[in-house]
Amino acid sequence: MTEFQAASKMRELMTEYYIEAKTTKEKPIAWVTSGAPVEFLYTMDVLPIYPENHSAMCGAAHKSLELIEAAEAVGFSPDICSYARTDFGADMTKGGPIQGLPAPDMLLCSTNICKTVIKWYEVVARNYNVPLFIVDTPFMHDGLTRDLIDYTTTQFKNLEEFLTGFTGRSFDLDRFEEVLKFSLEAANYWKKILQLGKTKPSPFNSQDTFIHLAPIVTLRGTQKCADYYKILYEEIRDLAAKKVGSIPKEKYRTLWDNLPIWFKLRRLAEFFEDKKCALVVATYTNSWGGLGDDYDPKNPYEGLAKAYLSVYINSGFEHRINYLASLIDEYSLTGFILHSDRSCKPYSIGMYRMQEEVTRLTGKPGVIIEGDMCDPRVYSDAQTETRLEAFIESMEDSE
Amino acid sequence: MFEPFYEVVFNVSKNITENKTALGRPVIGVMPAFFPMELIDAAGGYPVQLWGNNLSLGKSDAYLQAFSCSVARSVLELELIEGARMVEGYAFTSICDTLINLRELYRRLFPKPTVELSIPITRTDEARRIYLKSVIASVISGLEDITGTKVTSESLTKASSLHARTRELQRQLYYIRAEKSGLIKNYDFYVTIKAGFFLPRSVYNQMLEDLLEKLDKLPQPKGKRTKIVLSGMVFDPIEIYKIFDDLNIDIVDDDFANGWRTVSKGPLEVADIVEGVTSYVFNPAPCCCLYNPDNDRHPYLVDKAKKAGAEGVLFWYIKFCEPDAFDRPQLIQRLKDEGIPASFFDVELSMTNFDAIKTRIDAFSEMIKG
Ligand code: SF4
Ligand code: SF4
Repeated sequence: MTEFQAASKMRELMTEYYIEAKTTKEKPIAWVTSGAPVEFLYTMDVLPIYPENHSAMCGAAHKSLELIEAAEAVGFSPDICSYARTDFGADMTKGGPIQGLPAPDMLLCSTNICKTVIKWYEVVARNYNVPLFIVDTPFMHDGLTRDLIDYTTTQFKNLEEFLTGFTGRSFDLDRFEEVLKFSLEAANYWKKILQLGKTKPSPFNSQDTFIHLAPIVTLRGTQKCADYYKILYEEIRDLAAKKVGSIPKEKYRTLWDNLPIWFKLRRLAEFFEDKKCALVVATYTNSWGGLGDDYDPKNPYEGLAKAYLSVYINSGFEHRINYLASLIDEYSLTGFILHSDRSCKPYSIGMYRMQEEVTRLTGKPGVIIEGDMCDPRVYSDAQTETRLEAFIESMEDSE
Repeated sequence: MFEPFYEVVFNVSKNITENKTALGRPVIGVMPAFFPMELIDAAGGYPVQLWGNNLSLGKSDAYLQAFSCSVARSVLELELIEGARMVEGYAFTSICDTLINLRELYRRLFPKPTVELSIPITRTDEARRIYLKSVIASVISGLEDITGTKVTSESLTKASSLHARTRELQRQLYYIRAEKSGLIKNYDFYVTIKAGFFLPRSVYNQMLEDLLEKLDKLPQPKGKRTKIVLSGMVFDPIEIYKIFDDLNIDIVDDDFANGWRTVSKGPLEVADIVEGVTSYVFNPAPCCCLYNPDNDRHPYLVDKAKKAGAEGVLFWYIKFCEPDAFDRPQLIQRLKDEGIPASFFDVELSMTNFDAIKTRIDAFSEMIKG
């Protein structure tokens, strides 16, 4: 994996963020999903905390299994999303790298990533007896429609009212615009960074971007976050200009679809490096880059509604298939990897068919590996690596 | 008494084909859950409910991972083995991630048209109205395209009363079961409800009326029996009821999505269809798939168990059904706090060996007998 100079800055940022979250007396805490419109919270000085990001952190630190087992011991089924199980376990045992998350004062949940989060947040709402606000962003079977935009915009107005009541303060539009500005700035730098993956050789590996995703997920809407991505962008841009590749002798260029396997990040990075295979683009990290695409300063609500609806896994298969094919083309890929994640049904169901169709469209080989982002019990090194080796051979053949 | 219902449940495809010919209407497959079938009837279609089936799975493995629920896998299997040839289109709802994506898979794999009732779960009334209005309009026009018949306010009113009548008759059956515990074998009861998934309303309503008339005259059998309540999404495989019957355990009420959660629904109000559909979907029984804090499952289930005089509640869990799985631990705890024993067992629709389930039911029954 690539160690960027900016990485120490990110660690600092994230540490500061979690320290503030754990110690703040003034700011109310909202637990939020990764696709929730946090701009409203930052405007109202409510601090957003992301259980998904925390679960990912537990997974990467090889702490998720013990937390998952704690959740299962009180009856949570091994069938449910392992982010949720990790979160429940961390909450009960105060385990994991930061001894659990600070208790929430409210919950904000958006359905643009899945409907599973509603169930997850219902459990939390009951445990803590705090209000839950849901921004319902329905699945876009047929693309973005006027009705979907109006539906979402109307809920944003209601969210604003809810937060006004919750904090006892009025909604400051100037502050909102400022937060939006930071949010867009960060998203735009993030997008520019990801686009640098088109460079041959790629200056980063998708495994790196999984790590550097943390601030855009957690701190989007703050100046610190925007500043951080500017620095990271400049560093990677210079590497790209100098043609410094993230792995020596890049031979294959692939895409990664679905969540990372957090507890195997390093092992897989080494595996791919050994095979001269660079992961240069990931649908998962791309999801946070589109925020600026629809922004219209005259109509910020509508722009946000479009952005929060237009999430990759909130879209129909035709869109997803065409999108994968376009990435294969734009990033000059030699193949694509689909992670069939046992925990994430919305990301994984239909994947077998998508693989067939994408190969038919692009002529590039694809592989599906079976895994999970946080539950190591359903993952096998041997099986996965054998499959990946065969895939790499098939890329060799199709060269 | 129950033979006509058995005949349907064990010859589903033959029955649907015959009825389709007799009616001259296109068959629309209705996926779980809560799609108002009144709309299909009003558009001149013949709705048939697909709550999964007991096929052994083979072809569907090429498209759905083993971690998808067996409801989704088995309906796909049916289509892939061409067992659903008589179905001309599908009606979906958006109750879970699996079904939402299953619809997408159907659109890639099969030429049959699909419609989806995308259910808004917002707490913002105005937003819900805006969205649902457009969803209903597109569902109706999608159905009209399949059937070639326009929905009119007369056809809606007529369909609404036909379906309301079915549920009213089914409720009477539920009441008899509760009042004369032991009179209807568990197995017979669920065969009777299940037959309704496949029959045209007019045919099924007549069968239910005949049955109710006979049951009315019969007294409650004597003897001490164990009473329980079941909760889950889908009440299949029905083989399991034979285990309850053998152990003299009476299911006196249920909280199944394809049982009481559907049967309890009042008439679909058609005068204001947006409000009508909202009320239809969210009332009166709560469901794990429909976020609705105004109608909380916790007090609801406690109350249901108490009213039924049940000695315990068993959760009938279709493997990999996340909406159901998330609710269960807290619900079981709540029931236990109220002094109501509760437990669960795992089910796959394709299963053929019920030994493990029998062991769990045995153990539960021993526990509640104390
Ligand atoms: S991993 Fe998938 S199922 Fe779990 S919260 Fe994220 S999107 Fe939802
Ligand atoms: S059983 Fe559960 S997961 Fe399966 S289709 Fe029904 S609600 Fe969805």
